[in-house]
Amino acid sequence: MPSMKHRLTSRSLSWRTLSISLMSVAIFAFPASAAQPTPDLSVGKKAYDLHCARCHGITGAGDGVDARKFYPRPRDLSYGVYKFRSTVSGTPPTDEDIFHTITVGLPGSNMPDWKHLPEETRWQLVYYLKSLSDIFEEESEVVSITTPDPGHKGANLKVGREVYDKLGCASCHGEQGLANGTSAAGLVDDWGMAIRPANLSQGWNYRGGKEPSDIMMRFLAGIDGSGMPSYMGTVTEEEAWHISYYVAAMQEQTHWSRILTASQAKQLPGSLDEKEWKAIPQIAFRARNVVDNQGTWTQPPTINLIKLQTVYNDDAIAFRIQWDDPTEDKVGNQADRLALLLRTEGDTGDSVTLQAWPLAKSADLDAHYWVASKAKATEKIISDYNELNGSAGVPLVKSEAQYQDGRWTLMLVRKRHQASVQHAENIEAGDVMPVAFAVWDAGNPEARAVTSWIDVTIHPDVDQHAVHAH
Amino acid sequence: MKSFTVSKLMLVVAFAAVALPGSVFADSSVAGSVSFTGEAPAAKPVKMNADPACKSAHSGPVMDNSVVVNSNNTLKNVFVYVKEGVTGEYPAPAEVVKLDQKGCWYEPHVFGIQVGQQLEISNSDATLHNVNAKAKANRPFNIAQPVQNMKSKKKFSKPEVMVSVKCNVHPWMQSYAGVVEHPFFAVTDATGAFSIEGLPAGDYVLEAWHEELGTQTQNITVAEGAAATADFSFSAQ
Repeated sequence: MPSMKHRLTSRSLSWRTLSISLMSVAIFAFPASAAQPTPDLSVGKKAYDLHCARCHGITGAGDGVDARKFYPRPRDLSYGVYKFRSTVSGTPPTDEDIFHTITVGLPGSNMPDWKHLPEETRWQLVYYLKSLSDIFEEESEVVSITTPDPGHKGANLKVGREVYDKLGCASCHGEQGLANGTSAAGLVDDWGMAIRPANLSQGWNYRGGKEPSDIMMRFLAGIDGSGMPSYMGTVTEEEAWHISYYVAAMQEQTHWSRILTASQAKQLPGSLDEKEWKAIPQIAFRARNVVDNQGTWTQPPTINLIKLQTVYNDDAIAFRIQWDDPTEDKVGNQADRLALLLRTEGDTGDSVTLQAWPLAKSADLDAHYWVASKAKATEKIISDYNELNGSAGVPLVKSEAQYQDGRWTLMLVRKRHQASVQHAENIEAGDVMPVAFAVWDAGNPEARAVTSWIDVTIHPDVDQHAVHAH
Repeated sequence: MKSFTVSKLMLVVAFAAVALPGSVFADSSVAGSVSFTGEAPAAKPVKMNADPACKSAHSGPVMDNSVVVNSNNTLKNVFVYVKEGVTGEYPAPAEVVKLDQKGCWYEPHVFGIQVGQQLEISNSDATLHNVNAKAKANRPFNIAQPVQNMKSKKKFSKPEVMVSVKCNVHPWMQSYAGVVEHPFFAVTDATGAFSIEGLPAGDYVLEAWHEELGTQTQNITVAEGAAATADFSFSAQ
């Protein structure tokens, strides 16, 4: 129970007239308990019913009306197993741990941050959540870390990698951290739901925070209820810091955008690993799984990000596409697949939403379809996805794919004017061309991931003299 | 070896100190057998493909052990314990209960342990195991044992029949711990037999628990110094 002595109520101090910044100063200036109100479960319950029950359910059992639409599923709070703790595995989280999760949310999940709620409300929510489970009758045991954070300069990434190997992290997270370990596909959580390990290259998707100190705590305390165990006592604290920094260094820079300016070149790169690609800008955008017609997740998504580069010349346009897929499936109809979608020529209407496409009167799409089991990607106009597997389309100028350590890289080259495909999009200088993707991981066959539309701008061939003349 | 002998000795001393008063030479026992009727489920080989270290630890296929029917039509791995009727305090013995992971397999598959008794979990494999105890009455825990011969110690603070122990890295691995407040429990062996010794005379409820086939209880009366018999029978589902 929080200390009564330090309580500050809205009556004793007119909190609401103080600015938010003053409140945050107060948090840092005093012990955390200074800001904690007197627990009042009725206040917490009211806030819970309003903000939390929709996902976490009326009783906290994780069965709210929206629960099935999400991956990961909302937590069963009545079970009392908390993922993000600063406490020893199996012991309850501290009040501050729960307050922190409510305040900052869980990145990459549907749990938003609740910073906009008054601090007092967030504390009342903490008290209310604690009343939902018996686990809080147990004492918390805080993980003590006595070795100071070495910082980026003091961290030894080589030792970090050795620890990564020694501890078998790759069995779930994969050799390069791309969530493609041998045990990745069979994981279930404590409720029997299929789950996937974190893709360590995606710092933005670390639920518990991406900083080395966050990783250190997850490493030591484990993520209870998931497959991630506590590694406390397995290595020295110094080694734990090194692996935390190593994991942080596995995170890749991600240039989020929905606009990509196509580069221009006299000659297109001849292959997907040619060095010209290094100089061509790359953007990243989310791919999201399509839920079934009941709005239910059946399997955790395995493809959640696409990286795109594009370059064109007078004749053709090349796309270089990368995405992480934990299994390389390149046999038969169940192979990994990707469709690069353009609008058909002359379609200037709103882009369709791929999450719901095709609806009854949807526009057709100009699909460039790659299947890992086939040598050549093809182009055809489709009115439904199932047409992709029907009669073959027109082969693209070039398609080349490579699978390495959990990641596909695909290069597709297409004529700017594709005369052999009726209604195919003509790519003209000056166009703003919407591009979208649908991706299938054959190792996760129920899941189709789609993206929203990315605007690829094809800059006109600028006459330098004309620019100067202005 | 030496420490084992010492701990056994301590167990005897501790047990004698607590259980003796009032019933010095009058302890009784209950023994019996758990039979199985119907068609035994076909043994399924476990796919250990996920980890080459597991597969190479076995010369042939490893069979799923969720229902083990012995050659005399009895059931192995049934946890039999006194569910009701035990009075008095039975402090945890000093003897350490051991759970090993060997060849990506738990040994034992089903075991009993007293509240507060030391459990030593060890990893005999040169591969990562995590030990995920999905307790409900007790604290659940999920700890990593990445290094061969690593040992971890745990205790359970409340009675709970059963605590499921799993490894997420090798999802076929499954063990069950029956946590009881007293020493009156046993696990059926390869002949389906169990024997619970040292039980004071009295009326008890005995329960037999099987992971797939459920639980059964029966009332027993144990006379002073006598050996009672209790047999159970489970049938195919």
